[in-house]
This record gives sequence, structure tokens and C-alpha cells, in this order.
Amino acid sequence: MASRLKRTVLGFIAALLSDRVGLFLAKIRSKRLRDELSDQVTDKFLELLLSGMDLAFCLSKGYRKNIRNFEGRYLFRTADDRIVAAATFKGGDMKVHGGTIDEWDARVTFKDGAALRAFIFSRDHDILNSILANDVEIDGNFNYIYKFGFMARDLARRLGVA
Amino acid sequence: MPEITLTDVSLKEYGLTPRVSALRDVYFRVMPEICVERPRLVTSFSVDNNFFDKERISILDKARLYRYVLETRDPIVHHSRGYEKGMKPFEFKDASLFAGSTTSKFKGVIMYPEFLALTLWPELWTISRRASNPFHITDKEVDELNFKIFPHWMEHNITELARKRCYEENLKKCGIEKHCPEMKLLERLVFFLASKPNCISHTIPDFSRAISHGLRAVINEANDKRGQTTDQSAKEFYAAICEVLQGIITYSKNLATKAQEMADSEADPAVKNELLDIAAINRKVPELPAETFREGLTTIWICWTAIHLENPNVGLSLGRLDQVLYELYRRDIDAGNIELQDAIELLCCLWLKIGDHVPSIPDTGEQLFGGTGSNQAITIGGVDKNGNDAVNDLTYCMLKATELMKLRDPNPNARYHPGVNSPDYLRRLCAVNIDTGAIPAIHNDRAVIKALTSKGETVEQARDYGVIGCVEPGSNGRFYGHSAAILLNLTSVLELTLYNGRHRHTGKDVLISKETGDPTTFNSFDDFKRALEEQLHWLVDQSTILNNMLGRVHQDFYPTPILSAFFEGPMDKGKDLIQGGAIINSSGATVIGLADVADSLSAIQRVVFEENAVSFAELLDALDKNFEGHEILQQRLMNPEKTPKYGNEDPVADANVAWIIEAVDKAFAEKENYRGGRYRVGYWTMTNHAGFGRLMEALPNGRKAHENFTSGITPVSGVTPYLSQALNSVAKQPAECLSSGVALNLKYIPEQGASMLQNFVASVEGYFDDAGGERDGGMEIQFNITTHDTLVEAVTDPEKHRELLVRVSGYTAYFKDLNPQMQKEIIDRTEYLLSTGKMVHYDPFPLPERKS
Repeated sequence: MASRLKRTVLGFIAALLSDRVGLFLAKIRSKRLRDELSDQVTDKFLELLLSGMDLAFCLSKGYRKNIRNFEGRYLFRTADDRIVAAATFKGGDMKVHGGTIDEWDARVTFKDGAALRAFIFSRDHDILNSILANDVEIDGNFNYIYKFGFMARDLARRLGVA
Repeated sequence: MPEITLTDVSLKEYGLTPRVSALRDVYFRVMPEICVERPRLVTSFSVDNNFFDKERISILDKARLYRYVLETRDPIVHHSRGYEKGMKPFEFKDASLFAGSTTSKFKGVIMYPEFLALTLWPELWTISRRASNPFHITDKEVDELNFKIFPHWMEHNITELARKRCYEENLKKCGIEKHCPEMKLLERLVFFLASKPNCISHTIPDFSRAISHGLRAVINEANDKRGQTTDQSAKEFYAAICEVLQGIITYSKNLATKAQEMADSEADPAVKNELLDIAAINRKVPELPAETFREGLTTIWICWTAIHLENPNVGLSLGRLDQVLYELYRRDIDAGNIELQDAIELLCCLWLKIGDHVPSIPDTGEQLFGGTGSNQAITIGGVDKNGNDAVNDLTYCMLKATELMKLRDPNPNARYHPGVNSPDYLRRLCAVNIDTGAIPAIHNDRAVIKALTSKGETVEQARDYGVIGCVEPGSNGRFYGHSAAILLNLTSVLELTLYNGRHRHTGKDVLISKETGDPTTFNSFDDFKRALEEQLHWLVDQSTILNNMLGRVHQDFYPTPILSAFFEGPMDKGKDLIQGGAIINSSGATVIGLADVADSLSAIQRVVFEENAVSFAELLDALDKNFEGHEILQQRLMNPEKTPKYGNEDPVADANVAWIIEAVDKAFAEKENYRGGRYRVGYWTMTNHAGFGRLMEALPNGRKAHENFTSGITPVSGVTPYLSQALNSVAKQPAECLSSGVALNLKYIPEQGASMLQNFVASVEGYFDDAGGERDGGMEIQFNITTHDTLVEAVTDPEKHRELLVRVSGYTAYFKDLNPQMQKEIIDRTEYLLSTGKMVHYDPFPLPERKS
């Protein structure tokens, strides 16, 4: 997760670079996420996904367009709270939280990292599929999940792992 | 009573014209393309007019929006470009006799962000590559949806507006935040589905006034009424009607202008004349009365595109077209203005236009319930309002067009009144079924009219029923019944009873409904039935509470001025259709899993309580283990000689079916909907019996976990060896409890020779027979007449059979578009050989692999 200073620096660098170069940098920096997307998935998946998104928003102007004027608060957790993380979007910025948040637009309760990956990324499956398998439960506004799903898949596409 | 003047009702000398043949080839070649025109226009108008800040959208707001969409949309006379398999672009010549289209594409996916379009958001980048029914979309269109359209609807589609309302009400009522138990049940997907988040639909508009008077006359009438009333909401309603009808007129005139421009620059005199004809017709109708058959068809077509711009394409149906258009047809034929071939060609062109759009379904929707078209039913034949034979020459022309085109949409439904309609007509209906393999469905007027009058409709209203969506009967143009409002999984009622209010899908440790007793402690079968009835009432409560809440959200945010303009009732009452403007108001529930639950009841009755062959605890243990280690018990439960099975004229089994049907009808009929009407019940399952089946565990009738349920009102596959017994078991069920329609799915093996047709006709006559008033007779029957081998081959080689049409349970589908589970279900249906009247060897087909 990028610190504020780091984000400012990255943002400054990104402003000087083309989108392609920004994405290239994001690609290099998110190798572990790419591994998790294309190979064995671990319980680190959520953390890597959120930090990968965060980094890509910093480095890629094209990707950042997704959160321009977008406000949303997401809470992700396993039922036993073994894994808890949150992501908030405001003012064209993404903030990743290591713990819970009080207010959320959508809450995703998932069984494990693999279930979460299947929920968001499985090819030829959409969000409902994981709900059917009872691996994932959604509370709140589903449209926020649909948007998050798009952004996550858009990231994978830009990183070349879609 | 119209005289049949055709010398050959099969019209066998007529075939596809080169124009229609070419169009049909393109139709099957082209892939559906996502169209962003409607969402773009709806969104921009909503933003510019601050709709998203409003606490309520008035009917006039909506009418102005639709007028804007109709007047602004691109008037496309003919299409010229599409994408084929592999998403390769190709050019073609579109010489349809009708201008305009539902979307901006030749075959478009129409999107309604107000409803469920946002479910496609996550897969926008992959939707053109997905395994089931991919849609073409350009990068530019993805960007437009992602950045400019969808974000505006995140808080404002019907589902989220309903959720917000539910949260607010529950917070006030019980102080719990973000609490909406009925919505949560819906999201669990195994209890019931609700279609209001997806549509205001499943009804039949009335085109007769648009044809005979023209829309200008309706505008004038609305203006008069507006001037006469002092009621502000009625004034607003009439103003809204004027707005939308003017929008429709302008759209047609825009098409005329475009056709004129194309004609002006066209060198080929034949093409030029055709364009000039289109220009002249669209300049005149639907504004003014139609005076020719083609003008009548154009009126319907233009109004139909407008209706779909307002309302999602989910079972909106066209009604009794052979009645509405007959006078114009007769006049043109008698005057020598058109020949029969012209009439058939016009109908074929219209049929293709009707199928010019497909619903937008997310990938899991495709996996569970996929392959559906938009289920636009048309109805032919039957009796008129006075009970006289209504079959006419146009009925046979429509049958011919159906036979020639073999299309999924429109979904043709034929009415047959025993003793009134001619045997020749029934014979022709059966012959078309044999020829097409799947269409049309045949409805028994006598039983249907009885069912409708039992719910309060007058005999005249009931006699004028049309078929909605799949199979649901509704009085043509005056009945707003939203017949698929609720899709109730009856096997979940059984599950909640077996597990004392719990459900294995959601976990046996979670109480979902209420405790009705541990079945292992029940002393009698009646105890079990009582518990099941309680669980049924609980689930009916939940589903109707949610449906009514969603209906109220429609009333506040989705008024329907266009549909209201084409309905009997709203113009007189000065009231929108969704506020109760129609003459007849109801809501419909369709029930999934009837035969599986009925056979499960019979199994419990016989095996547990009568013969004490196993205890309830042992039965539950077998279910939990999916019969592993309990194979002998499962074989016994599946054996119709040892356990009563519906479809064998077994009194125990058939009585359990009747008991369920009556209990379900009673539970729903007690409920009032948000428009002051009552709920009606039907048994047609579309693909939901496969979808729900995939989610559910083993049942007491011997069905193993995740296997398909049985479709519609059909008995379970493989346990009904004799066709006549199967038909009789269904035909004795009480019609008055089946007022929202049934689908009886039968599979006949094609046989050579004339005897097949004779036996076919006899099977329908026998099924419809009321046995001298001792029973109602079957209400509806539909067929698949395709060999087992052909279906199996179509699984492995779908492109070879891309036009293979099958009956699902209600609607018609292309077999290749169905998900593997549904393909298996069709293949596994009981096959009868008509020459023997017996089932052929039953051997379940392995579940096909899902394409990647």
C-alpha cells in the first residue's frame, strides 16, 4: 500500500510519463499480484489486489479515469475476520485500509482468497456465480460490486493477465 | 364467423421469397451486438433534467424522456453491417419491407440501466468472448458504458431504489440498519426469483385502436379528456399520452424522411420504388388509420419498437394478430391489392423484425437460465368474444410464415377450441409442429376460458385471451397481470419442511423461515402436509411482500406512458397501467418443481408413513448423503411400480399433485398486489427448473443432488411409461388453480408415414378432452419432435445445428444457445413413440461440458 508521500511522488512521476510507461511500471511493481491472478492463489490475494489497484491508479492516467468523480466505500472480510481490508474512493483517489470501516456501500464476505479471486476474476463467470456457490456473500448496493468487478478486470487486462 | 377461402390450408405451394431467404440467412449469421443508443439517450436526458435528484419521477417526466429518445434516435431504414462468428465484420443487403429497428443494430442487445444492465458491467471487456451467447461490443462502447452511462445509475436502478426504501422502512420499524430480509432471500437465489428488478413486462398491448383510428386520433382524445378532467394526476396522465404518441409519430416520419433520401440517391429503380413505398407508408402510419395490410403491420411494428424502448423485452407479447389484422388482410386480398405470397412475405419480414433484439443477460444468468429470447408471443385461432370460431385465412398464413421461418421469436401459440374449431385446423397445428420440431404451442380454449372466468373475468374477456411470454393467458390488451412477477422454487418449500425451517444450500444451522416441527417426530403424513403448507405460506408471504414493494418503486420511478397508451382502461381511468389503470389487474407467480415435490410427497406418504419401509430419520440421512450407501432405497423411490409417480394415473400421486396445486393457488390468491389485484399461479418454468435444480440437494423422490427438476406441469422424466396415462394425469388437474398458464412438455420421436400425424392429433384431442365434464382437460401442450441422436449431435456440433429449435418450458430456444444443464434436460425428457403410445428406453445423458 502506497504511503501518502510515495503516492505523491508516484503521481508526479506518472504525470510526466505516458500511460504506456506508467502501466509498464505498474506491471513490474505488481508481479506478485500477476502471479496470484494467473497461478496459485493465497490469502494475500486481497491485499495484493487492492495495493495493485492503488499503484495502477497512481501510475496510469487511463486506469485512473475509472475513479474520477467516484465515491465508494468497500469492506472485504472473511466470515471469521481472519482477513479484513477496506478500500475507499474519493476525489479521484483510492485509499486502502488494513482493517474495518464503519460505513460501507458494499460489503463482501468471502470464504478465502481463492473464493474471492473466483468471484472477481474467473473467466466466463460473473459475480453471481460465487454467490450461487455460497463462497461469497454481498451486502449493500450490488452496483458498487459490479463497478469494482469492472475495475479489477480492467486492471488485469492492462497488466496483461486477463 | 370468417369463411375459410383457402383451398389448401397448408399453403404448400408457397415458400420463402428470395428477399426473405436472404434476410433469414443474415439473421442466423449475425452475432448480437450491444447497443448503447438507448442507455445513452436515457442517461443524458435524465442528467440534463435532474431526474437523479428527484424523489419521484412523474409520468410526464417519463413521457418527455421517451419522446426525446424516439425523436432523437437514429432512424435506420435498412442495416448493412454485422459481425459473424469469431466477431468478424461482414456487409449485407437488408431489403426488409419494414423500416426501423428496436436497436441501432441488425440484431441488437437492448440495455436498460434503469433495470439490470449494470450486471453486465464486470464482463464488458470479456462479453464478446464468453462461452455462452457472446455479444459484440466495441472498445468505444465499453468506455461509454463504463464512464458515461453506468456511473449515473449506481444509486438509481430499480433494485437499489427498492433496497434503499426497504432499508429505510426497516430502520424505522425495527431499528436495524441495512436490513431487508425479503431482498436477501431473493439474492440467495434458491427460494424465489422476482422479475420486477428486470422489467415491467409480461403483458399484451392493444393495437386495434392504433390500426383503426391512428395515433393522431388517440392524441386528440387524450387532449379532450385532459381538458375535461379536473383531476391533476389525470391531466398529467393525458399530457403524457400525447407526448409519447407524438414521439412515435415523429420516429416513423423520421424513417420516412430517411427512406425518401435513400430513394432520391438510389439508381436501381426497383430498390428506389421499395424505398418510396416505405417512405409513403411511414409518413402515414401510425399517425393515421391503416388502410392496407402492410400499413397495419407497419403500425404494429413501429408501436412495438416504441413499447420496447420503454419496457424491457421480457415476455411483452403481441396478442391475437390474426384477429387484429384480419379485416385489412381480407380487404387487400379481395381487392386484388396483394396475393397470398405477398401476405406471407410481409409476415415473414415482420417475424424477423420482431426477433431483431435479444435480452442482455450476464454470464451466470446464461449458465443458469440462458438461451432465452425475449419471448414475444403471438396468438392465433381459438374463438371470438361470442364463442364462435375465429380461425381465418390469415391464421393459416401466419402458420405458414411460422413454418417457413422456424424462428425463436416470435413465440407462436395456437388456440384450439374443441368442438368449435375445425379438425382440419388442429391437424394443421400438429403438422406444423412436426415440420418445425417445436412450434406452435397448442392451448385448450375450453379449459383456459374456465380458468380465467374462475378468477373473475367475464366470458367475453376470457374468450378474447392472448398468450403472454411463454404460455400465460391474459385478456388481450386489457389485462395487466405481470405473469412472471414471481418465480417460486417449490422444492425450497419442501426443503424448509424437511429441515424444520432450514435449507441445506444456506446451511442447516441457519433458520431461514420458521420452525414447523422436526419431521422425524411427525406421526402421520398429514402432519407433514400441514408443515409444508405453513412453509408454503411463509415463502408466498416473503415473495409477495417483495413483489409489492418493487411494484411501488415502479409506481414512483418507472411510470409507463407508452404501454398505457396501448391498453384498454388507462385512457378511461386517466391512470397509468402500473397504478391500476388496466381493466383487469393481477400479478402472476409461476411455480418450479411441481412434479418433483409431488412425487416426493407420494414417496414420504407411501414409504415412510404407510409402509414404514424407512424411518424419516433414515430418509433424511439418505438425502444428506445424496443416496450414497442408500442405493436400494433410491431405486425403490424412483420405481413407479413401488412408489406412486405423477403421470401414471396413480390415484395417490395425482391426488398429491392436485393438493399442491390447490394449496399454492389458495396461498397466492389470498394476497393482494400493489395495484389492488390478486395473484394468479402458473406452472411453466422456462429454464428455471434446470437452474434451480443445479442449486438443490437430493429429494425424497429419488432425484439426486444438483440434477434438473422437471419442467412446467410435466411429470418427471423416465417414470411414466404410457403416454395416455401421462396425459390423463395432467388433464385431470383443476384448471381454476392454473390461471396463469401451464406448460406440458412432451417429446415425440419422429416417425415416417401419415399415421404419425393421425396419432399426434389424437394425443392432443385426448389430452384436451373433458371426459363429459368430469375433468377440465389439459390446458396447454407443447412438443419437441426431434430424434435423440440429433440432439446429442447438436451438443457436440452446435454449428451444424445452429437453427435447431426446441421447446424449453414455455418459450422456444435454439438448442445451441442453451446451457449444458438445460441441453441435458431436453435430451433426458421422456420420449414417446406415438405408434405404440409407449416411452422408449430411458437412459440419462451425461452432462455436457461447458464450452470454454
